[in-house]
Amino acid sequence: MASSQHVLLSPAELAYLHASLSLTPPIRPDGRSPTQFRPLVAETGILPGTNGSARICFADGTEAIVGVKAEVERTAQRPGEETVFLEEGGAGGDGDDEEEEAGQGLDKRKGDASWVEMTVEIPGLRDDDSGTAFLAAMLSEALLADGEFAKRLWINRRFHWKLYLDIILISPPLSYPLPLLSLTTHLALLSTRLPRLKSEGDEDPFFDDDWAAAPYLFPRTTSSSSTPSSTTTKSPTPAATRPPITLLVMAVGNNIIFDPSKEELAVADVALAVSVTGLSPSHETETGGGTAGEKQTGRNLRLLSIRTIDPPSRLTAPGVANAANTAYGASNGTSNGTQKMAEAEAVEGVWRPPRGGAKRMVLGALVQKVLERGGVVDEVLDALEGADSG
Amino acid sequence: MNDRRRINGPAGATLAPFFDDAAPQDLDTRSTRSRPPNATRKLLLKTGVTPSASGSAYLEIETSAKPGLSGLKLSCSVHGPRALPKSAPFSPHIVLSTHVKYAPFATQQRRGYLRDSSERDLGIHLETALRGAIIADRWPKSGVDIIVSIIEGDQDRETSKLQGDEVWDMMNTLSGCITVAAAALADAGIDCVDTVAGGVAALVQDADDGSAPSIAVDPIPSEHKRILAACCVAYLPTRDEVTNLWFRGDLPASDLDLYTSLVGHGIQASKNANRVLIDCLSGTVG
Amino acid sequence: MPITILAPRPSRPTRKHPQEDASVTSDTDSEAGGVDLDGDLPMTTTRPSKRARLNTTTTQSTAAFEIVTPGEIITDDPQWMRGHGTYVTPSTTAITSSVAGTMTRTNKLLSVRPLRARYTPEVGDLVVGRIVEVQAKRWRVDVGSTQLASLPLSAINLPGGILRKRTETDELQIRTFFAEGDLLVAEVQQLFADGGAVLHTRSLKYGKLRNGVFVAVSGTGGGGGVVRSRRQVWTMEAANGGGLVDVVLGVNGYVWISKHVETPEAGADSSSSSKAAAGITNMEESVSTTMYSSQNDRIEVEAMREIARLRGVVTALVENGLRVDEDMVVRGYHEAVEMAMVSAEGPDDIYLGGERGQQLAAALRGA
Repeated sequence: MASSQHVLLSPAELAYLHASLSLTPPIRPDGRSPTQFRPLVAETGILPGTNGSARICFADGTEAIVGVKAEVERTAQRPGEETVFLEEGGAGGDGDDEEEEAGQGLDKRKGDASWVEMTVEIPGLRDDDSGTAFLAAMLSEALLADGEFAKRLWINRRFHWKLYLDIILISPPLSYPLPLLSLTTHLALLSTRLPRLKSEGDEDPFFDDDWAAAPYLFPRTTSSSSTPSSTTTKSPTPAATRPPITLLVMAVGNNIIFDPSKEELAVADVALAVSVTGLSPSHETETGGGTAGEKQTGRNLRLLSIRTIDPPSRLTAPGVANAANTAYGASNGTSNGTQKMAEAEAVEGVWRPPRGGAKRMVLGALVQKVLERGGVVDEVLDALEGADSG
Repeated sequence: MNDRRRINGPAGATLAPFFDDAAPQDLDTRSTRSRPPNATRKLLLKTGVTPSASGSAYLEIETSAKPGLSGLKLSCSVHGPRALPKSAPFSPHIVLSTHVKYAPFATQQRRGYLRDSSERDLGIHLETALRGAIIADRWPKSGVDIIVSIIEGDQDRETSKLQGDEVWDMMNTLSGCITVAAAALADAGIDCVDTVAGGVAALVQDADDGSAPSIAVDPIPSEHKRILAACCVAYLPTRDEVTNLWFRGDLPASDLDLYTSLVGHGIQASKNANRVLIDCLSGTVG
Repeated sequence: MPITILAPRPSRPTRKHPQEDASVTSDTDSEAGGVDLDGDLPMTTTRPSKRARLNTTTTQSTAAFEIVTPGEIITDDPQWMRGHGTYVTPSTTAITSSVAGTMTRTNKLLSVRPLRARYTPEVGDLVVGRIVEVQAKRWRVDVGSTQLASLPLSAINLPGGILRKRTETDELQIRTFFAEGDLLVAEVQQLFADGGAVLHTRSLKYGKLRNGVFVAVSGTGGGGGVVRSRRQVWTMEAANGGGLVDVVLGVNGYVWISKHVETPEAGADSSSSSKAAAGITNMEESVSTTMYSSQNDRIEVEAMREIARLRGVVTALVENGLRVDEDMVVRGYHEAVEMAMVSAEGPDDIYLGGERGQQLAAALRGA
């Protein structure tokens, strides 16, 4: 199971890791600072057969590939909406494939969650593994949370794009793969382009063959491309939001640690997956002034989703204090005594798996740290944008 | 995934045509919330409903959309603790496995017999919520199965479909699952640090005029115009700890207070559910 | 900077002509970026010209590092004996390679050592292993090999005297010595025909590991990894007041870095132990009290920092395809300390990932 990967670490290792991560500042086993991510290698547009693709790999060899494919699909009409009558008998045909429903938005464009299909493939795990389902649900939840993303897939009232995001982890997961998959998905979406629409109104759509003219799904602001986004959709894109990113943060003692490795996660008191999105910096003047009143640096971040990740630390074996260790012949045979000892006050240097939940303050602090203006998320988004354009 | 072993109903559901002289836009099928924003719905909790299981519980939540009709009906059975199979590796803790399954008729759209991804997702959420509550090292080398069947989902017939907000329903369902599973665990006599219960709070907007959104506890999606964000909290009241937090929506990061108060209201809802849970468990003895 | 995103580069850089003899080195290597290759690497790319020479000059000792591929005929001279990684086609005398790797010859024995393979145990190897299964009278230990190694209960030092017969009580409480997940350092005592190894810890330098961190580097052979060398275990003085640090390089590629604990004081350090006083008079006793402990001693912040730095050095060596042995680790460590001195964050900066690691590797290659 991905969320509670079976970790086999000795109690002595766990006690050491926990002690070193609880220091101020924490000493991480790989020497990173608490907010530092593992260095990664990224590239986009690696698969010419897709609408958008990206690859990210870590130095330890963990590697993920995301391919985005788009298909034109007929939007199911439902009673209660203004029915579209066209010469080619649109209404009759629509009744046939009424498989999915579309949400009625206030905007003329509307989107539906079923227009996006996300699958996650992790080697060594079954297709129907709950952990994989959890990961896929988490990633698509972030993408669909604000409802704006699905609207981008609207072509006209009768047709929409159906977007397939296939996330494949190439190597067996050496650590909880969530940050890797999320960052790769982000890059793939940044590089996704949909063919330019040539038809107008509600007629059957046809598209420009010229791939070079295809606009990006998330219009680029930095590259100042000449293709205006308004050609695809009749109403202009409301805000230059970026695709969401999901970060894994954990708390040990008083420390908040980003992008934990497998060993670090094994001693976590609590771990959260937080999805955020940010408006691109060039748009912050209009939006930033409205909410905050004063001009600040950094992006306007929006919180999209939070999920608690079950830290594997609860599943680790507890250490035995020297005083209670029967291997020394001490208190031999009195298993009752050792039981009591295990429940008693913590002995320094002996690992005890955490029990119970997380304090509200800790959870609040984790979320606050992620959403910090001009903080980690900002720099990650900047770096990803650089990786895409570069 | 196709279930080939059973004869299933038709693949796609159709809705009966709807004729009315009035323009559909004028029809407001939305029922409005009659409860105060910080009041949860009444719930019925009963333990020991399945005698053959080690522990079991049944939960029913009253729907306020149509008085007299119940919304959510959940039944949970706990099997174990029992010895792990010989092939399983040694475990110093109890091995928890959670299954959440909608009955095929529980929701408007018929569900298959095989668990789909949203049910698996709920299962993981439930596992996270319970794992923090149980004292796992009291039962080494043993396993426990927690099976929650959703007999009736919390959906209003007319409106939920049009809104397409099944996700918000999932949060209500999860909070019910957590409460009912905690009752069944206590019924099975498995050591827990505290009773865990679920609670949901949502940030809702009832009018289109751009008025400030308000926070409602235990929301029914069909009663609100729009749900901006919602969170489901699994909370241990005596330890004041959260074992599972699931938030979804769209909140500006600059307004962290909104998030905090949303979680606070979720905890409030969970405390209400917990009172019912305690009453139910102490009532079983007497 | 919380994140570094590097541009992609070929995952395995095309190696330029390696220096396998002096004439080649002098004319091509100098400008072809020979710096990214250590002279010690027993790995080369094959060039057609060289391969042609290989088949004819197998008896020459100059061709020290040659890559052969599966199916390649090494020699058809019947005077050679086939060793590991080779086979003989029936009804011929031709020795053919069955793996891709470097060829070695010992007297008349031809064997091919694969470029990258899992660890193959050999008797006398010092290995670091992790218990994965506890059985009635033995443990199954993961040593990174194709098979789990086994550690019989009779092959460990039982507490309370080094030469004690094992009893049924010991069998019943086998998990108090080693449980699942525990790390240990042991020696390969015996090999089975199927490649499985039997370990023993019947020495005071072997046993359970604590007070440190574990890092697994990929198996032997190829560019990086732990190589068999004269000393696999040593104690070194850490910089910045880190005290003494023990490094255990398991031949199987599992590495353990821990704070050095003086053995006679070990009993006295664990104040909670009731037998602490007796420990000084009877060393055997005191050692055995902490032999199966899973309680860490108090470790100073400085020591933790230097242990993490050493771990970073080992990972950086592996990531940059350098061999891991005592010489490289010690040199790399001193280099890393100096790099930290001149870095912006000062001597407390222990990060050695990404570019820092490459910088370190380049410095080591240049030295």
